[in-house]
Amino acid sequence: MLALKLAYRNIKGAGLRTWLNVAVLSLAYVLIIWHQGIFTGMLKHGSQAVIEDEIAGGQYWHKNYDPFDPLSYDESHGPIPAELTGLIEDKKATPILIRQAAIYPEGRVQTVLLKGIEPGQTILGIPSAGLEKEEDALPVLIGRRMARSTSLDIGDYLTIRWRDVKGTFDAVEGKIVEIMNTQVPTMDKRQLWVPLKELQKMVTLKDEATIIVVGQNVQGQRDISDWKFKDQRFLLTDINQVVRSKRISAGILYAILLFLAMLAIFDTQVLSIFKRRKEIGTLIALGMTRLQVIALFTLEGAMHGILAIGIGAIYGIPWIIFYSKTGMKIPQATEEYGFALAGRLYPSYSVGLVLGTVFIVMVTVTIVSFLPTRKISKMKPTEALKGKIS
Amino acid sequence: MRRLFVFVLLFTMTLVYAQEPSGKDILERVDDNYTAENRRATSTMVIKGRRATRTLQAESWIQGVDKAFTEYLSPPREKGVKMLKLGDELWIYSPATDRTIKIAGHMLKRSVMGSDLSYEDYMEDPRLSNIYNAELTGDENIDGRDCHILELSAKKEGIAYYRRKMWVDKERYLPLKEELFAKSGKLLKRFVIKEVFKVGKRWYPKRMVFKDVLKKGEGTEFIIDSIEFNVKIPDYIFSKASLRR
Amino acid sequence: MIRFLIKGLLRDRSRSLFPVLMVSAGAFLTVFLYSFMKGTMDDLVNSNAKFDTGHVKIMTRAYEEMADQMPNDLALLGVNSLLERLRSSEKNMVWTPRTRFGGLLDIPDERGETRAQGPVMGLGVDLLSPESQEKDILNLKSALVLGRLPQKRNEILISEEFAEKLGVEIGEVATLISSTMNGAMAIYNFKVSGTVRFGITAMDRGAIIADIKDVQSALDMEDGASEIVGYSENMLYDDDTMLALTQRFNDKFLRDDDDFSPLMLSLSQHSGLGEYLDLVDVFGGIIVLIFVVVMSIVLWNSGLINGLRRYGEIGVRLAMGEPKGSLYRWMIYESIIIGFIGSSLGTVLGLAISYYLQYTGIDFAAMMQKSTMLISNVMRARVTGWSYVIGFVPGLVASVVGTMFAGIGIYRRQTSQLFKELEV
Repeated sequence: MLALKLAYRNIKGAGLRTWLNVAVLSLAYVLIIWHQGIFTGMLKHGSQAVIEDEIAGGQYWHKNYDPFDPLSYDESHGPIPAELTGLIEDKKATPILIRQAAIYPEGRVQTVLLKGIEPGQTILGIPSAGLEKEEDALPVLIGRRMARSTSLDIGDYLTIRWRDVKGTFDAVEGKIVEIMNTQVPTMDKRQLWVPLKELQKMVTLKDEATIIVVGQNVQGQRDISDWKFKDQRFLLTDINQVVRSKRISAGILYAILLFLAMLAIFDTQVLSIFKRRKEIGTLIALGMTRLQVIALFTLEGAMHGILAIGIGAIYGIPWIIFYSKTGMKIPQATEEYGFALAGRLYPSYSVGLVLGTVFIVMVTVTIVSFLPTRKISKMKPTEALKGKIS
Repeated sequence: MRRLFVFVLLFTMTLVYAQEPSGKDILERVDDNYTAENRRATSTMVIKGRRATRTLQAESWIQGVDKAFTEYLSPPREKGVKMLKLGDELWIYSPATDRTIKIAGHMLKRSVMGSDLSYEDYMEDPRLSNIYNAELTGDENIDGRDCHILELSAKKEGIAYYRRKMWVDKERYLPLKEELFAKSGKLLKRFVIKEVFKVGKRWYPKRMVFKDVLKKGEGTEFIIDSIEFNVKIPDYIFSKASLRR
Repeated sequence: MIRFLIKGLLRDRSRSLFPVLMVSAGAFLTVFLYSFMKGTMDDLVNSNAKFDTGHVKIMTRAYEEMADQMPNDLALLGVNSLLERLRSSEKNMVWTPRTRFGGLLDIPDERGETRAQGPVMGLGVDLLSPESQEKDILNLKSALVLGRLPQKRNEILISEEFAEKLGVEIGEVATLISSTMNGAMAIYNFKVSGTVRFGITAMDRGAIIADIKDVQSALDMEDGASEIVGYSENMLYDDDTMLALTQRFNDKFLRDDDDFSPLMLSLSQHSGLGEYLDLVDVFGGIIVLIFVVVMSIVLWNSGLINGLRRYGEIGVRLAMGEPKGSLYRWMIYESIIIGFIGSSLGTVLGLAISYYLQYTGIDFAAMMQKSTMLISNVMRARVTGWSYVIGFVPGLVASVVGTMFAGIGIYRRQTSQLFKELEV
């Protein structure tokens, strides 16, 4: 306790220089935490969009379903298992039927996926309610990317041709009732959303589905006979990988930043020891062991770190809170690779992040403060008292 | 008196039957005209694309309804490509790669050589009376020829085109025009015979145009350059081995 | 006088070495940090550029309208002559043709019939021309898993996962079943020369890379390609230059009445990358500013310390009669020299390491999972004009300013006090 008070007094005495060092260190803290928050935010954000719009709490896949193999779609359907009908009725899960079809915007054939979904479902964040409308044609919901690539707009009719489960051609006029803005391109490109019951009728697959999406709060799902359960983690693999590689290069940036700050601390310590050699000599002569003196100086150095936490908190916390509320705008550049990072990104901070950063910085500061003090152990008190450096 | 009445009735009925063949009869006669024990033909296919027009020539051997062998003669890029249909299986052989690929499932929906015809269309049972019920619904004159109008509906499930409409030349029993419909009644494809010729005792289409109505473009034209019926076709031709010869 | 100063500095190592070291450390760190940061922010832009958009991309207008469907019937024709013209008129760019296609990959058994089959996406790029840089652009060498890169006609790379799924081995035949430009069925034999990791799940499931001439043969696309991509020679994207290039090209080649005339788009004109670039610039600016401030503080500190160390010496000199003003000036001059030397050293070192990282990079494969085409595990930096200045100027200035502030102490303290702090 005494040591702490002493240490504090000493560095306060150094005035401006101390506060400069503290300012630099506090900047280091805040920047690292802020930057890491962006990555965590990126991960969460990208995941969030996908979770909200596409995967919710996980999906049951029909055993033949392989999203990367379009040839598998027409074989991937089965009656909704009894074990899940309860969940579906409670609106905690929603079935989706996926079938291949062709449309002819501007007379050019285009293969698309027809996805049948309950208009009233609340599991996925897409505006399926729009499909409830009574129309003279099949109501169709598409994403804005799809709308752009087919030049379709609300109110437009389009011919949809598909085959029923036995292979007979059928065709119907669809009408675009809504264009949705989703951040998840895999819910948008090359697909049409239609009412589930209609699609089931169209392809003569009553009460069947290709995948069943469970709500976010539903726990403990397991494979059921023909249906495999894919949890969130599985479905989010791609994003996780990219963010992970980004964190590593960020780590290097932090290292450099810390290095700069440590340079200052080291510097200060050297000067401090130099300037106060008389004081050191005095302390040793008065009976303090070398180790205690070393500890004192090290503590002083470390104090910078502690003060920096305080100062950093003062301006850092409001800044970080502000940022996590307003977020930053991120462009759509990353869409090509199938995951969504567009829109506003909200940095995400956790206690763990803050404590972890603080810990690492404090340890580094302490070590760096200690290094120059080794000189003290070699000092001869008699020389030091006189003001000489030995 | 009663006997006279019955006689007149019978006579009238006979007359009616004699004048008005049933849809089924008409369809069967169309089928009879088209098919034979076997036939051998050389044909030309003209495919009009958005940027260029291609012309292909092929020679085909067809036995009954189950076996068909086609070899492409030109252009040079396609020369030597062979297709074999056996029952409901279809193989294509490419000499450049020496590969025999079975066309199944998804691939059947692809177009033949980029035309408006799909492999599936090519594979369908040529005897429509086997798969469709026919109803005579009227008549119409097409380009100076009197035609029966037949409405066909699929006999069972799994037939690609649920309904068809045919305009059958009353004299020659050729379907001068055919329309293929989806289950909902939407028109999907149209087939028109532009020119006919006589081969032996039967009339046969010379030039036909096949069009996917939903797509933009002018469709695909078929020209039968020559055709022989009931010739001797050696059996080995209809085997996978013959693809590689 | 300068010689005297320098002599003095050189002789008294402890006086000069430490401050010089401090200044160069600070300058080095700033230069390195800035360049490294530029390098990481380039990352996303680079992935898009390598795989998809190039720095500029040329397609027919008709193709561009439905590009995600890979409508090769709308592909670019007359590619060879277009390439020739581009290569002669835009010499500081790398131009290369590519074709994208989809289909099935069919593995034959001994009789030439199907042993295994799976859906495939394909990329035809110029692999075999000696001048082609595609192997580097696509990071093929480090993404290679088994076998080798294609060296002969009809050899292809296939994704590692796909090869396993199909049970196909290096050296075996894989037949592509696809559509020619005219819609006919294309059947073409390739030989698998190696397997590769793409880094995008969709492609890892089933993708191949073939030489563009083979793809042209396979898909009956004589002298055709889906697109031509262009990269600036130094592989660094400069938006203004590329936009100007795009304008020049479109003015010359794009025709309103011809759907098949070539259209060029710059990277920034593709979905949202333009915004990203702006964001990167803003970010970069902010971070740089922060670091310059930080480093200045550090160096100022060091300048202060430097000055303070020498109070003893200063005391003596004042006692010896040197006027305060002249003494002050001397110290400033010294600090300028120290600052200059330190900043130069630091900048040179920083640039050296940054250049190394720019061209060679550090391979972090050991830390990350395996290298793929998309996510390069090589850390890179980027040196720009700013790199030269960003460490140097603050280094020099801060060092001088620090000494200036310390020197003020001279004016305040009594000579005797300074003298007292003299060590004998």
